[in-house]
Amino acid sequence: MIGRRLRAIPGRIRSRIAPFWTTLWRPSLHFSLGFLTLGGFIAGIVFWGGFNTAMEATNTEAFCTSCHEMKSNVFAELKTTIHYNNRSGVRAICSDCHVPHDWTDKMARKMQASKEVWGKIFGSIDTREKFLDNRLELAKHEWARLKANDSLECRNCHQYDSMDLTRQAPRAAQIHQLYLGTGEKTCIDCHKGIAHQLPDMRGIPQG
Amino acid sequence: MKAVATIALLASAMLAGCGAKHEETPHRAPSAPVLISAPGQIDPMRRGVPIDADATPPAMARVENFDRIRPVNYEMQPPTIPHSIDNYQLTRNTNRCMLCHTRSNAQTFLAPPVSPAHYATRDGKILEEISPRRYFCVQCHVVQTDAQPLIANRYEGLNTTIPEGGVR
Amino acid sequence: MTTRREFIRASAVGAAATAASMAVPVRFADAAAAQPPPEVKWSKAPCRFCGTGCGVQVAVQGNRVVATHGDPEAEVNRGLNCIKGYFLSKIMYGTDRLTTPLLRKKDGQFAKDGDFEPVSWDEAFDVMAAQFKRVLRAKGGAGIGMAGSGQWTVWEGYAANKLMKAGFRSNHIDPNARHCMASAVTGFMRTFGMDEPMGCYDDFEAADAFVLWGSNMAEMHPILWTRVTDRRLSHDHVKVAVLSTFEHRSFDLADIPIIFKPQTDLAILNYIANHIIQSGRVNEAFVGEHVRFKRGNDDIGYGLRPDHPLELAAAHAKDPTGSADIDFEAFKAFVEPYTLEHVAVLSGVEQGWLRHLAELYADPAVKVMSLWTMGFNQHTRGTWANNMVYNIHLLTGKIATPGNSPFSLTGQPSACGTAREVGTFAHRLPADLVVTDPEHRKHAEEIWRVPHGVIVDKVGYHIVEQNRMLRDGQLNAYWVMANNNMQAAANLGNEGYPGYRNPENFIVVSDPYPTVTAQAADLILPTAMWVEKEGAYGNAERRTQFWHQLVKAPGEARSDLWQLMEFSKRFTTEECWPAELLDAHPEYRGKTLFDVLYRNGKVDRFAVDQVEAGYANDEAAAFGFYVQKGLFEEYAEFGRGHGHDLAPFDAYHAARGIRWPVMDGKETLWRYHEGTDPYVKKGSGWQFYGNKDGRAVIWALPYEPPAESPDAEFDLWLSTGRVLEHWHSGSMTMRVPELYKAFPSAVVFMNPDDAKARGLKRGDEVRIVSRRGEIRSRVETRGRNRMPAGVVFVPWFDAAQLINKATLDATCPISKQTDFKKCAVKVVMA
Repeated sequence: MIGRRLRAIPGRIRSRIAPFWTTLWRPSLHFSLGFLTLGGFIAGIVFWGGFNTAMEATNTEAFCTSCHEMKSNVFAELKTTIHYNNRSGVRAICSDCHVPHDWTDKMARKMQASKEVWGKIFGSIDTREKFLDNRLELAKHEWARLKANDSLECRNCHQYDSMDLTRQAPRAAQIHQLYLGTGEKTCIDCHKGIAHQLPDMRGIPQG
Repeated sequence: MKAVATIALLASAMLAGCGAKHEETPHRAPSAPVLISAPGQIDPMRRGVPIDADATPPAMARVENFDRIRPVNYEMQPPTIPHSIDNYQLTRNTNRCMLCHTRSNAQTFLAPPVSPAHYATRDGKILEEISPRRYFCVQCHVVQTDAQPLIANRYEGLNTTIPEGGVR
Repeated sequence: MTTRREFIRASAVGAAATAASMAVPVRFADAAAAQPPPEVKWSKAPCRFCGTGCGVQVAVQGNRVVATHGDPEAEVNRGLNCIKGYFLSKIMYGTDRLTTPLLRKKDGQFAKDGDFEPVSWDEAFDVMAAQFKRVLRAKGGAGIGMAGSGQWTVWEGYAANKLMKAGFRSNHIDPNARHCMASAVTGFMRTFGMDEPMGCYDDFEAADAFVLWGSNMAEMHPILWTRVTDRRLSHDHVKVAVLSTFEHRSFDLADIPIIFKPQTDLAILNYIANHIIQSGRVNEAFVGEHVRFKRGNDDIGYGLRPDHPLELAAAHAKDPTGSADIDFEAFKAFVEPYTLEHVAVLSGVEQGWLRHLAELYADPAVKVMSLWTMGFNQHTRGTWANNMVYNIHLLTGKIATPGNSPFSLTGQPSACGTAREVGTFAHRLPADLVVTDPEHRKHAEEIWRVPHGVIVDKVGYHIVEQNRMLRDGQLNAYWVMANNNMQAAANLGNEGYPGYRNPENFIVVSDPYPTVTAQAADLILPTAMWVEKEGAYGNAERRTQFWHQLVKAPGEARSDLWQLMEFSKRFTTEECWPAELLDAHPEYRGKTLFDVLYRNGKVDRFAVDQVEAGYANDEAAAFGFYVQKGLFEEYAEFGRGHGHDLAPFDAYHAARGIRWPVMDGKETLWRYHEGTDPYVKKGSGWQFYGNKDGRAVIWALPYEPPAESPDAEFDLWLSTGRVLEHWHSGSMTMRVPELYKAFPSAVVFMNPDDAKARGLKRGDEVRIVSRRGEIRSRVETRGRNRMPAGVVFVPWFDAAQLINKATLDATCPISKQTDFKKCAVKVVMA
């Protein structure tokens, strides 16, 4: 199992980490079981805190937009929308919409995100052209996720119960009552492209 | 200098009038032209400010978002858009307007459907979907802001009566 | 759904809401009370706005235009109009229409520092003639100038050209079209030896690819954009490339979106030429037979005043048009440094996009249409940019056949028909003739029936220079017609306004409305517009279109044509021409300019009764002959048999426009190509007959930096331009309530990060400051234009925000057209 994991890592890196790996799995010669247990417990707390801090760090806008393709594609597009700039000054950052707030889901999403980082490092989306070519696929992932969780990230801020329909434009109020209020539709069904430009939408229902 | 100060005062008074309201206030006083006259200034578009002076520009006008269909001046004139279209995407990839205004969806979204002419090609062929030559709606249909015209217009429409159903 | 009842209620509210600005459409009033309405008559006319030349149907009831709609019979637009076109019926009815001449007076006398007072036409012309005569006595025609227009009708431009060049003997007549497509003209002349496009709008339905070079057709040429959109969306293989310095609505259709750093379009053009050559896709047969090569002078300056440091530093500021013959190999070597890598860095464009763009031209299977307007033309290297786009079409032989079309769009309804074809420029005469050529002058004098030697042999002041010369007191009597040059010309505060208010100068402005330019004038003449007179316009595809007078102008307003001709009656030949000339031609003595220019036996040869029945013609009634027909037929003599053949006058009133050259009653769609152009000899394939050897010229021209670039203090590029809802300076569209309410004030479009870095938010009042001047505006970070960091865009339609206080009056040194797209500014919180 471990060996297989190790083998999955590219050769050059594997040769560097191999000595540490071997040490790690050799039984202890110098420390008591109690020390190891207690030490492990403390280390666990430290590690856990560190892990979550690291996770939080990857949730910031600064982190998300630290790479060129996020900054000059999706983030640039967000800046002209209501989710960046609006009446009340409450704005969304990337993770508000794209990272689940629930821990398990968040982990799952982070694992998925590492694939996108891989894409960054190995250049599958290093130009605007490639980004546009891949946009439909990337968008489909997000739509599917939001559809599956009943637009959970939208609803973290926009709850139907809290909507004062009389303060909405009449046509928006009508539609919300008719489709959102009855649960017939979920937010993402009608609000695709709310914060970013849309790919070719032929054949994709939007409302 | 005095003229500039007067204008600035006038402009700020105007701004105060249309500033703090909620952007979706359903009823707004009818707009009357703002007639600014300053001694010797003849171009109303200058808002009374001499050419070699500058004044505070009016606050950004707000798009009227009441969903109330406005009258057209005559048949075949495209109606103005009675709602905000902020961030509605209208690109070769997607057409947000037609989500509601296409004939098949109009009923669902309580929107007026586009007229049948919109389905005709340059050569007069009738299509299932909106004709590609009419694809970019905003070339003919525009929103209206609450800005008050600087000068009135004396245009009078066709003096005739048009039977029921003349409205698209 | 809105019920009928609700609708009527809404209508009532709407009607009340706009009662002052928009009359209540009677159809919504109580039907039962309606009287039988007066007869409604529909007639054709071209649209009053841009150079597209859409046909409209105009409904007239009584003496009012009550409706307009797209003419289904008009080939250009087949029933469509843009938003401006749909509101044409309102442009004449702003309540501030000028109905009487206005003269600056004090104590009952003309006074430069007086206030405007209504006067009669007699008094207006008396004062004006006295002022013109004062200048004539002191300086002759050299002190008299005229700013004309691409919105003049054909005969108005022609009558003005005669009055200035033959009457007052001044070549200081130049149209606002100088700001608009002068670079297109010099581009055509240098490459083809003949002005105007070889192709036509039919190319839209034949092309496989469209490349917009700095043009935002979606807003500026919406109806032509419908034809591009139609083609693109109906055919999956069709590609659209859009190039600009910022992202605008045309990008909504783009397959190849390209945002380049200002001025680097020149390098991109040379990269494409290099790519075509390096990839072995030169059409050798075509190039061998129909093309020759030249290298143009480089380092040609920026068209600023001659003592400007940039002009003193430029090697060829005094000889910008100089050139040397070269061969293909030399051209190949010249463009070789413009590699993909180099140009990608210079322009800031991804290599992939550049390669796709170059392939559209290089691929022999792709029929490509290049389209441009102000992005190329308003450019300190505008002539070059035009030459360089022809280069890539000529290298590949993609020219003058359906779909293969380098196409220069125009901004004004008769930039082609009047400004260019009639030759109302400071150096031109009708049909591509020039004042500097003795043969051309002689030919013009013969057609005009004026003595040889009347036309001055020196190029007059172009419109940018006119402002400079007014300021310097060289030009002292100045007539501005059908344009709003105070608002339109660059560097307003230093070069425009001081000249108009120079106490030595007398400024006359003819306009339907009190514009900024009128405000700066001494005498304002109220002018009839559009269908208040019989007219002719020529659009961008060589289509000449006529319309009839459909209504009377309000009050004392008179057409430009009437004004020009009536004013000419107040001058005798003795007052305008030198004694030697009259000694040699005594038969011209004792005559008025009206007699020699318009009652010359040609212009006055058609009787009033030839005016089509059912239509008024105020000018024919005033002068006693069919003025328009006489002027047109005399003018048509210039072009017939010389590649500019126009049809007989009456044919145009019957047709929805006809594209010249008109041979044997048939229009020409593609010039220079065998089979479609009767001027091309059989067996030759192509003939660029504007040049004596029948060959077009490929020009070796480099990338050179702009006149002014951002620096530490003035750290942003400023580009100016238009918006869909308003046309040019807004003097018509700002008076249409719906258009006004759609886009009421100019804003400064800005990148959100640029705004943030300056502590600015959307809607903040800011000062836009350049080295020349400043204006106040408001920040827009979310509108229709998405700005890259470092570039701001301000539309110029808003008279309350005169952005030309900030712009630089640098021009293309060859075309003398101002670069309104590039200068350095800072934007700070007001």
